[in-house]
Amino acid sequence: MLLLPMLLIAFYSLIKQGNGIVPFTVTLEYYKKFFTDKDFLIVLYRSLVIAFKTTGICLLIGYPIAYFISHCDEKYQGALILLITLPTWINMLVRTYAWIGILTKGGLVSTILGFFGFKNVELLYTEAAVLIGMVYNFLPFMILQINTSLSKMDKSLIEAADDLGANKVQTFLRVTFPLSLPGIVSGITLVFLPAVSSFFIPKLLGGGEFFLIGNVIENQFITVGEWNFGSAISIIMAVIMMCLMMLVRKIEGRTATGEDE
Amino acid sequence: MKKEKRYFGKTLMVLATIFFYLPIVFMMVFSFNESKSLTHFTGFSLRWYESMLKSHDMMESLYVTVAIAVLATIISTVIGTITAIGLSSSKKIIRKAITQINDFPLMNPDIVTAIGLMLLFITLRVEKGFITMLLAHIAFCIPYVILSVNPKLRSLDPNLSDAAMDLGATPTQALIKVIIPQIMPGVISGALIAFTMSFDDFIISYFATGGGVKNLSIMVYTMSKRVNPSINAISTLVVVLITGVLLIVNLKPLWKEKKPKKKGSGKGKLIIAAIVALAIGGTVLFNAAGNRKKYEGQTLHIYNWGEYTGENIIQNFEEYTGAKVIMDNFDSNEQMYIKVANGEAYDILVPSDYMIQRLIEEDMLQKLDQSKVKETFNLIDSATLDLAYDPGNLYSVPYFWGSVGIVYDKSKVTVEELEEKGWSIFLDEKFKGDIYLYDSERDSFMMALKALGYSMNTNSEQEIQAAYQWLVQCVQTMEPEIVTDEIIDNMAQARKALGLIYSGDATYVIAENENIGWFVPNEGTNQWCDAMVIPKNAENVDLAYEFINYATQYDGAYDNSSYVGYTAANKKVKDDLYGEGGDFEGIDAYIPRAGYPLDEVFSYNANTKKLMADLWSRVKIVASNS
Repeated sequence: MLLLPMLLIAFYSLIKQGNGIVPFTVTLEYYKKFFTDKDFLIVLYRSLVIAFKTTGICLLIGYPIAYFISHCDEKYQGALILLITLPTWINMLVRTYAWIGILTKGGLVSTILGFFGFKNVELLYTEAAVLIGMVYNFLPFMILQINTSLSKMDKSLIEAADDLGANKVQTFLRVTFPLSLPGIVSGITLVFLPAVSSFFIPKLLGGGEFFLIGNVIENQFITVGEWNFGSAISIIMAVIMMCLMMLVRKIEGRTATGEDE
Repeated sequence: MKKEKRYFGKTLMVLATIFFYLPIVFMMVFSFNESKSLTHFTGFSLRWYESMLKSHDMMESLYVTVAIAVLATIISTVIGTITAIGLSSSKKIIRKAITQINDFPLMNPDIVTAIGLMLLFITLRVEKGFITMLLAHIAFCIPYVILSVNPKLRSLDPNLSDAAMDLGATPTQALIKVIIPQIMPGVISGALIAFTMSFDDFIISYFATGGGVKNLSIMVYTMSKRVNPSINAISTLVVVLITGVLLIVNLKPLWKEKKPKKKGSGKGKLIIAAIVALAIGGTVLFNAAGNRKKYEGQTLHIYNWGEYTGENIIQNFEEYTGAKVIMDNFDSNEQMYIKVANGEAYDILVPSDYMIQRLIEEDMLQKLDQSKVKETFNLIDSATLDLAYDPGNLYSVPYFWGSVGIVYDKSKVTVEELEEKGWSIFLDEKFKGDIYLYDSERDSFMMALKALGYSMNTNSEQEIQAAYQWLVQCVQTMEPEIVTDEIIDNMAQARKALGLIYSGDATYVIAENENIGWFVPNEGTNQWCDAMVIPKNAENVDLAYEFINYATQYDGAYDNSSYVGYTAANKKVKDDLYGEGGDFEGIDAYIPRAGYPLDEVFSYNANTKKLMADLWSRVKIVASNS
């Protein structure tokens, strides 16, 4: 069920409409088309950069929040987690439209900044707007994942470290952090992968100037109608990200304790 | 130091909460907005709540959304957890391989998974509807669950289950009593993410569903012509509902403390069981309703643009004929084409001119029985009849029509400037950073080709390349914002000086803000027409004719046009709405220019269209790379 659609797509990426006798021919043309085009490569590069930034910000903000939640009284933990996930149950488009209203010229943010003397700041249709939209959408996943691995962590390990004379910072760096690594990796996966391929957020908040790889693929499928080329691009992307994820998992495997590398 | 950290954590938490809820509050406020705008508050009103409750489509889609999300979450959580546990005890290589495969659907844009699933369902000849949508949701939720459970499993001490079994537990007992409680946080967060994903999904649902079953996201995304605040209203309702449920669930532990323990957990199970029963019951009901239709009067399936019908026409038509109308929406001709070309059956489609030509060429439309629509054609403005895409109107009956032009802020741009420059005003650096382009390859190329003095239906590659250069120059020197229907709201607030726009949208903008003007360059423009056609695989042709006639007659057409703002094909309606006391009195954009020799209708040419689409995406790439 999961694999079949992917295989179909992989198949599509390799074929080309044939003539009347042969229904299709196998070709690598679409892959060549992508790699020989400077513009596509720039788009790919920029999508990766934006996704890296998003992931970085999510990790930086998400980790302390998750840490805070996991150290709260257990009674409140569930409520806090729900507090964070609740907004994601509102349609993404509706939320993104709300951001348009907040960030636009004469909107909430520019009015507030106006009070501090920054006149006529328009954040909408800038990279900052795209980043805000992305972080907004994906941060809850990061928090959830990290919190999962932090909570229910064996507290006796921390006590043991304490007893052995480690100070707070040492305990955190040597015990807590490594133990939460699997959660971080899951979090990164959940933020990075969808961030690379997202296309609604850049479309709405980027004003068409943030044409990312997800937009290229969507465009190929729907507007241009070149399913073969669209498939090829998404396969290329999938391979690149697979390599990146393998790298992340390798690093994690080296660092984490108790991993069976 | 510890205290400091607490404060730091608390502050961060509060800030994060504000960040998370700011848009939600914003959205709620706008659900009470008087006008259609989502960014400019004009006054308090409950009209969107009214229209939400009146729209059975919307309430039904809310139900479908919840049912699918609940079922998909439960099923995918169970399957995902079992898979993850199974994986953890299987060989390392297999585990690694499956983990990689598991990531696969996550890293593809949804559209790829969506098309893949659609192709799969078509290959397997499964009829699309509620069940296929559910299957699709389960499929894309499972990876998220596995991803969440995995880290918990891996940090689990492998000796734990051995210890349990040494102490005499059976493997099943060890699993249920030891492993599951340990990984529970992972399972819960997996379930939460799955629920979120399912609740919010649009593209996969859109291509996996059929037969008029749709969820909220589909409703929202296909309201391409100005998303209206009733969506905010229904989202507010969702927030209130969820908060209510959560409050009950969270207060439960407090009761539990007071009451005997057993009863409390029994209650919890009862609630879950009730939700599941409701969801399953609903599914059955849904299918039952699907089966009963045949006896229960007839059903008309319409595939139309989002927000393209009046407030009452569907309800009135249902009352008039006793039939039930199921209307699905699309937001581009191409999106519609993908579904229709892949076998989705509708009785009426409302595509644009060039797409009608394509459908005729590909032999997908029925010829109209002229005797059934003869009187209707007499009502229609002759300017929209007998156009090149369908000579003699053998296949299509016009619905809305219009042109493409420029809306401008009268305080920044003068008519003289516009007359002097025509389309090339979009290259005038005086307006640098102050223009909107419309994200449509056809109309962008139309503008460029007309500016260069070519026909917009040219097949000459040289001319198209010249137009491409024109557009590249525009995005490189003018810093335009390339938007779609956000332009309506933005220009109604006069946020920029100039914008490329459809006449019907301009009508709405000008009705909202009289300081905005409308101009159509003398170099010519695109005269377009969206028309009703009956596809070959239509199931209820007679009812289709009923609707075609109904929507063209005075009342139907009036309702449509006055609500949407697009120009009615019915001549009398057009004249009345423009004339004294009409909704669009004196707004020129409502009366498209007709019969002007340089104006053209788009014609379909597969190669040119592909070339333009490809080049337009390059223009956008250049815009973002510069």
